[in-house]
Amino acid sequence: MRAVILDGIVLGLGFGLLGVGLTLVYGLGGVLNLAYGEIAVFGAIVVSQVMDRGAPTLVAAGVGMLAAAALSVLLDLTLMRPVYRQAGEERTLLGLLLTLGVAFVIVGLLNWKYPTGALYIFVGGDPISIAGVPMAAGSVWASVITLGVAGVLLVFFGLTTFGRGVRSVIQDETGARLVGISPSLVRTLIFALSGGLAGLVAVTRSMSAPLTVTAGFDLTTFALIVAVVGGLGSVAGAFLAGVLLGIVDNVSAHYIGEYITAIVLLAAAAITILVRPRGLLGR
Amino acid sequence: MGGSSVSAAPDPRPRGVRVVTRLLTRALLPIAVAAAILVVLPPLWFGDSPYTTGLAVEALVFGCYAVGFNLIFGSTNQLFLCVGALAGVGGYATAILSDKASLPLAVGVAIGTVSAGIVGGLLAWIAVRRSLTVIFTGIVTLVFSLAFTNFIIGQRDLTGADTGYVLQGAATELADDRVGGYYLFVAVLVALLIAFRALQLSHAGWAFKALRDDEVAAELAGVDVARYRIYAAVVGSAMIGLTGGLFAYSLGFISPVTYGFAQVDVQVLIIVAFGGMGTLLGPVIGAAAFGFLDRALTDSGQLRQAYYGAFVIAIFLFLRRGVVPAVVGVFDRLVASRRAERMDGAAPGRAD
Repeated sequence: MRAVILDGIVLGLGFGLLGVGLTLVYGLGGVLNLAYGEIAVFGAIVVSQVMDRGAPTLVAAGVGMLAAAALSVLLDLTLMRPVYRQAGEERTLLGLLLTLGVAFVIVGLLNWKYPTGALYIFVGGDPISIAGVPMAAGSVWASVITLGVAGVLLVFFGLTTFGRGVRSVIQDETGARLVGISPSLVRTLIFALSGGLAGLVAVTRSMSAPLTVTAGFDLTTFALIVAVVGGLGSVAGAFLAGVLLGIVDNVSAHYIGEYITAIVLLAAAAITILVRPRGLLGR
Repeated sequence: MGGSSVSAAPDPRPRGVRVVTRLLTRALLPIAVAAAILVVLPPLWFGDSPYTTGLAVEALVFGCYAVGFNLIFGSTNQLFLCVGALAGVGGYATAILSDKASLPLAVGVAIGTVSAGIVGGLLAWIAVRRSLTVIFTGIVTLVFSLAFTNFIIGQRDLTGADTGYVLQGAATELADDRVGGYYLFVAVLVALLIAFRALQLSHAGWAFKALRDDEVAAELAGVDVARYRIYAAVVGSAMIGLTGGLFAYSLGFISPVTYGFAQVDVQVLIIVAFGGMGTLLGPVIGAAAFGFLDRALTDSGQLRQAYYGAFVIAIFLFLRRGVVPAVVGVFDRLVASRRAERMDGAAPGRAD
């Protein structure tokens, strides 16, 4: 039982990291970035290309995250501009359709250039024992990185001036502008952060299993579910939702069976949304 | 309505009948034009190419899905991201009932249609009860879609899981005769359009318009928003289920991919947004446009998806409200300027 829950937490931290990048952009710009998973895949392919050219893994991971962040900023500076000129539901729908188009373009180009592309980062070493349960070294390191990033993000948004500025834009765009915070600058920076996180997701995921070119769609839908269950715009909520869903997933996979698990997981998500439409930690 | 005939009118029919016929002609004219074009297409163009006819059948099927989705999302603002799953309810019900339980095909399709309607109604009821916003309705129905796909894959004995399901017997007539399948779906599309038009002109149409413009105002004016939402969802979902069932029959083979989220919902959303949300012919125009695009991109191989995406981006950057509203807008402006000119010539100074 302990092993099952620990595995669930490891899985869930990955889910949470996936949701954070999406939730931030939605909270800020009202844009559900449906190209999010494809940006992560783009990052993964960059990492694998750089590694193939003989660069050390850490350098390659850094380059991949930067590339994903750059792609995300490019999106913000070009296609998202007309979206921000709209308001309310029009903005959400236009953002959704445009990023869907972007997702097609990215996955189409990657499939064409690297049809068999995949990223797998092998982490050597013996299984590490945690609370008496031996865990694969790759998963443990991925979780450590994720926990670290989660901590940094929470501190950043809770304590630093800039982080509070971002939260003020999430709450009230006009109010933020009145106290001298530029929403468009904040948005660009958050798009960069979101892209970088997508790249990081690609790296940590590939530490336990290969990430292929076709993974983008699943990444996007899962990020969407985690972000909504956690409460759109809430960083802590995304991680909490990720960990809870991860535990549900693993426990039901262990005790009930494989195909039912996906349904149990989805039902858990649906019920949370129905009971608390604002999400676990949404305002 | 009185029926007392006006002396100058040579038409022997009572006035009430004439009014009704005129209204009917005006209401159905766009559908009749679209139907006429669809009917003459195979002999004039692609009838002898099975490949293109197959693409045309697919475009028609998507047109039918889009009419149902348009009723749910375009008319009552409920983002149902489960078009594929609803079609799958119809499709698998038809396949399994007529194949394994050896019921007549029509019974299988009918049961599939009704089940899809019930499922859609339930989803709408939940969304209304929890007063979910557009995006949240979207997420809950998306979750339902994914769960449905997993359910189908899990029931291997019944559905054949990923390998798919071959419908015995039922399909041979239509799968081989693609032009026949084409006309079947022309008929379905026309029937769905007439149903959509009838709803638009009925009291439900007024309620839809009111709740789309301003939900709170509609509620205050006495429109039972919850009831009309569920109503639209039931009818629209039944339309989608019917199409899914007939599609299974005409293909002769279905698999989770036939009704997958990525394959159906994404496309239908783009079609309806492109054609014009809530308009009568928007879904048809959207489906036709993406049918042509499909044909045009056949030879681009691997890059096809990228071109498709670029096209989607370009469309929504420049045609935000869809083709039909854009055309109607241009037309209105032309008529208005013509009228203004005439007014200027006839009686300067009198602006209406």
